[in-house]
Amino acid sequence: MSSPPVLRTHGLGRRYDAFTALDSVELEVGAGELVALVGPNGAGKTTLLAVVAGLLEPTAGTVEVAGHAAGTVEARRALSFLPDTPVFYEDLSVAEHLGYVAALHGVADSEARIGRLLEQLGLAGWEDALPSELSHGMRQKASIALGLVRPFSILLADEPFDGLDPPSRAVLLELLTAARSESGAAVVISTHRPDVLAAASRCVGIRNGQLAYDGAADDAAVAEFFAG
Amino acid sequence: MVRGQGGVEGATIAALRKMRRDRRRRYAKQVDVMEVLYRIYVGAILGAIALGVLAGVINEAPAEPTAVEWLRRHGPAALGVVVASSLFAGLRIGAQGGPLAIEAAELQYVLMAPLRRDVALRGPALRQMRIGAVAGGVLGAIVGNFIFRRLPGAPVEWIACLALFGALVPACFLAAALLASGRRWGAQTAGLLGLLLLAWSSADLALGWTVSPATMLGELATLPLQGRTGAVLAGVGTVLAAVLIGIGLLGLNGIRLESARRRAALAAELRFSAAVQDVRTVILLRRQLASERPRRRPWLRLAPERHTSHPIWRRGWQSFLRWPAARLLRVVLIGVAAGAIAAGAWSAAPLALFVPGALLFIAGLDLVEPLAQEADHPTRRLLVPLQSGTLIVRLLAAPAVAMALVAVVATGAAAAAGGSMTALSIGLGLCVPVGLGLACCAAFSATADPYAHILAPEVEMMPPVGYAVAAAPPTAAALLLGVPLLSAREAERTGGSLEAVTISAVVYTAVAAAAAVWFLGRRFVKRDLAGIE
Repeated sequence: MSSPPVLRTHGLGRRYDAFTALDSVELEVGAGELVALVGPNGAGKTTLLAVVAGLLEPTAGTVEVAGHAAGTVEARRALSFLPDTPVFYEDLSVAEHLGYVAALHGVADSEARIGRLLEQLGLAGWEDALPSELSHGMRQKASIALGLVRPFSILLADEPFDGLDPPSRAVLLELLTAARSESGAAVVISTHRPDVLAAASRCVGIRNGQLAYDGAADDAAVAEFFAG
Repeated sequence: MVRGQGGVEGATIAALRKMRRDRRRRYAKQVDVMEVLYRIYVGAILGAIALGVLAGVINEAPAEPTAVEWLRRHGPAALGVVVASSLFAGLRIGAQGGPLAIEAAELQYVLMAPLRRDVALRGPALRQMRIGAVAGGVLGAIVGNFIFRRLPGAPVEWIACLALFGALVPACFLAAALLASGRRWGAQTAGLLGLLLLAWSSADLALGWTVSPATMLGELATLPLQGRTGAVLAGVGTVLAAVLIGIGLLGLNGIRLESARRRAALAAELRFSAAVQDVRTVILLRRQLASERPRRRPWLRLAPERHTSHPIWRRGWQSFLRWPAARLLRVVLIGVAAGAIAAGAWSAAPLALFVPGALLFIAGLDLVEPLAQEADHPTRRLLVPLQSGTLIVRLLAAPAVAMALVAVVATGAAAAAGGSMTALSIGLGLCVPVGLGLACCAAFSATADPYAHILAPEVEMMPPVGYAVAAAPPTAAALLLGVPLLSAREAERTGGSLEAVTISAVVYTAVAAAAAVWFLGRRFVKRDLAGIE
């Protein structure tokens, strides 16, 4: 990697009492990379993303986001995180959510940006809907819009394709690829989906909390990882 | 990509404030003003009636000089122990990520935004502190309103001092919690510090000193009885409390997001359960919040038995032997506090003799765990080859004996605090029937079905019925212990026979406890019949 990595972990570990969820993870992600994070259930993918996002604290090692320790104001400015379960204010509409998050991150042209995102994700016409009025898939889309409405250097997405219909999956993949190619942001997606693997520039495999594979995202290599 | 950083934080703060303002306005718009006014009106009437009744019941005769002298000399330290206990509790809650219960969305969007977390959290923290301080201040003023009638000193002095003391105690409790969570103290550090404060205040009480900051704050509550030195100490206590509040608020930036997330999820469930008076769920969620898990290794391993002649009794003790240290300590401290309050109430405020029963009831909620677990699983209960009534009564045995042991602890504390043998003779006589009765009261609460009252159409029209049903067991617990203690005190005051009163008190509590056991058994028989039908 020529430019400094957007994400760097060194000896990263995380334990829950006696259980080791992450063990000595060494990972670097550069600007413009689209990384597919794969691994069997319970391998530590969600924990890794949560630690990088600053939601969980490591019990060993360090995490740097855009050159700053994870969880600091600077790191939060650079990182956008899409959780596996969408989270909303129950008394704010979709548009109000987007406006609020955009304002929190100082987005200047928020209205145009919000309109474009709503259109792209098929949420046009749902601007005034409250979260309780949205279906599971629509909530997922709104959550994705919230992650994309703000500027970022790295986007972490935990199983973002769950609950989306095939056209929406394609749109989301397009948006993530665009974020990577247009603004040079890095994207790390935890997924099991082959279409994401096909679009990824790199695949990182985790097993039993350890980095077990880091390389090309072609089918054969990943199949070998899962078989191993 | 990331924008330039200059001015972004200012815009972020402005966006945060605007959205909070808009949400408050929207909430206010949704509130039915007439409904709120009606509630205030009803609350004011009920409050006035309660105060009137209390004023009538409380003996307004001036307190005896010995009681006044005891209060002047030991009151600050005794109140200091209360303050230190609340600081201990606050530190522990802080170590578990409290006291703020942040909305999940607020965590996801605001605390993950490029904004210092103390800026984002100062508003909610101040609001929580304001609510606690106002509630405590009002309660303090009410207590002051009754106290000035019995003790020397100007009414305004008593009301003002107790209102300020009442406001500072909850504020300090919250500040201690904020301090522990902001500094990221672990449970051990926070617990050790809390215990040190408690020990310091207890030493003040035992030795008659005023060196602990908590005792100094206690001076404030009894200021009308104290001289110039007392006023200076009260001033120092107040300043130290203000410093603690300031430090607590300044440390907000260090809050651990991980604990806050966990707390946010549990607090939302807890609020709902508390709103519907689902005592059992509240207990279970509170334990989760406090990370109170059964010990992997029991304190004492029961010897393997060859003949399972008393499996239910054994099951109860197996449960107690896996209690975490915090729960064990809590129950013992409740016993000590109940005894100390009984001793204090005996000499100074007889109406407070109803408090120990209500306090021990709280310990009972932990002690009836084995029984409550059976109530949680009706199908499992039906598979036991015993009638539910019989099963429940047998399940009560271990909690009742454990409760009796807590009553013995309370008796010891009362004897130590009051320095008389009267407490020992009454307490030891009452501990077995009181243990059974209080365990029954707790079992009634822990096994109640709150939705029976919420969903019943006739109750829907009359919400207070649900609250009354929920309040019945703790009230019964307060009466169960309060009535015999009051009559024993009256006998001592009028020179009656203490032995006779003790015997009649034992009979009274035994009959009440037997009736409670019968009603509890019937509740489960009825439930099983309803389930079969």
